[in-house]
Amino acid sequence: MKFGYASWLPETNMMRKFTEELANGRLMGTKCKKCKTKYMPPRIQCRCGSTDMEWYEAPKKGKLLAYTIIMYPPESMQKYAPYIVAVAELEDGTRLLSHIVGVTPKTLKVGMPIEVSISKVSEDRITYKFKPST
Amino acid sequence: MAKKVAVVGIGHSKFGKRPDVTIRELAHEAVFPALEDAGLSAQDIDAVVVGVAGDEFAAQGSCAAVINDYIGMQGKPLYRVEAACATGSAAVRTAWALINSGLAETVLVVGAETMTHVGTPRATELMAKAGDTRWEYPFGVTFPAFYALMATAHMHQYGTTREQLSMVSVKNHKYGAMNPYAHLRKEITLEEAMKSVMICYPLNLYDCCLISDGAAAAVLASEEKAKKLTDTPVWIIGLGAASDNMMIAERESLTSLKATRLAAEQAYKMARIKPEEIDVAVVHDCFTIAEIMAYEDLGFCKKGEGGKFIEEGQSYIGGKIPVNIDGGLKSKGHPLGATGVSMTVEITRQLRGEAGKRQVEGAEIGLSHNIGETGQYCFVHIYKR
Ligand SMILES: [Zn+2]
Repeated sequence: MKFGYASWLPETNMMRKFTEELANGRLMGTKCKKCKTKYMPPRIQCRCGSTDMEWYEAPKKGKLLAYTIIMYPPESMQKYAPYIVAVAELEDGTRLLSHIVGVTPKTLKVGMPIEVSISKVSEDRITYKFKPST
Repeated sequence: MAKKVAVVGIGHSKFGKRPDVTIRELAHEAVFPALEDAGLSAQDIDAVVVGVAGDEFAAQGSCAAVINDYIGMQGKPLYRVEAACATGSAAVRTAWALINSGLAETVLVVGAETMTHVGTPRATELMAKAGDTRWEYPFGVTFPAFYALMATAHMHQYGTTREQLSMVSVKNHKYGAMNPYAHLRKEITLEEAMKSVMICYPLNLYDCCLISDGAAAAVLASEEKAKKLTDTPVWIIGLGAASDNMMIAERESLTSLKATRLAAEQAYKMARIKPEEIDVAVVHDCFTIAEIMAYEDLGFCKKGEGGKFIEEGQSYIGGKIPVNIDGGLKSKGHPLGATGVSMTVEITRQLRGEAGKRQVEGAEIGLSHNIGETGQYCFVHIYKR
């Protein structure tokens, strides 16, 4: 399973684990055992130099910090446009960038509560996205 | 105490759509006027620093070597510097360091880029790849989209309006129309700016800088050389540089560029001046929101009051600090590698009193501010005549 709407980087072990967990409905980040820094999205090495990392399940609720409605996408994303890209802060303070769906320009507001939902983009692609939280 | 380094020669090509030339000829257009301005010929130059951001745009690998050969500098020490959209300022800083270290007395800096030759869709694609290709590009985040995210956050937090964004564009077009080297020499009205086609909300066409070809050059010299060469040296008295997280979601703020704040602090400290002493500034206005954040992060106004700063006309000639009165990236154009060097050219012109109709009367201290990508690089230089 590949991640996101378009990508060309190799599917590393970390990405295989990440997308496998996504397919099972879990949004997973990593945490450094040495300095406790959390990474969402995950990394396998810490900025402190440590490689002793563990996976953790991230909260799916959060709030919207910023958004933009993209009218002119890159070539590879033409069929999805227009789409809304947003940055949200999850309940544990980590931040994530994704698309937001289920909103209109009128209902879209910075600060609105959101939740992370997981869905397949195509047969071999999976992603997370935000939707308004009730 | 750092040794003194001055700008002693400047040159600038016409920015714009330039299908008539490739990157080597563009560089030539800027280099020889700069050498002539300095009263030097090729043999007087100790080293060459070339700033080109992307070989893919030029469809030529190792652009620096091609340019160096074409301008007749074979045999000299040659450096290629790259820092995305801040490439030109990184090149100027490198030249300063070469002279300050004693490795060279006189250095030629050349910034050049051709961006229109690959076509707009390809250029958009190349710039989108400046985002994190693991976690950002997979969502189709275009280059303007990163600044649009900062814009919605800024609008929410400080009440900045789309109208205020457009006001930045109106100002930069007003001055760009007076600059013979600018790409789009045309004044626009606030209404035209507000009504232009939406690129990514809240940024419309007139909130975004142009895709341009262009080159700029500067000759930097040690104090001893500079005093022999010219009566009007422009001294670089302060420098600052900083970086930030790669991914926008990880930044500590979405309404301020940390790299600007850090770089500005260093530059003000080194120059021993305060922001209010700046007589004229050129700042990185790749998008209108970027200029508003620059006012705040450089200390020209308080945090959150950037929108008010432009609305009150404080960045026009006659205001508190005239900003981007060469047209800025918005109207002059933003050929990546050339931009930072072009900023040095403009401030030098202003401090020499050679800016014609755009001259800030009696300007003594100038500042240039250049961002790479969406804040991952920043360079601030402070100049004094
Ligand atoms: Zn760690």
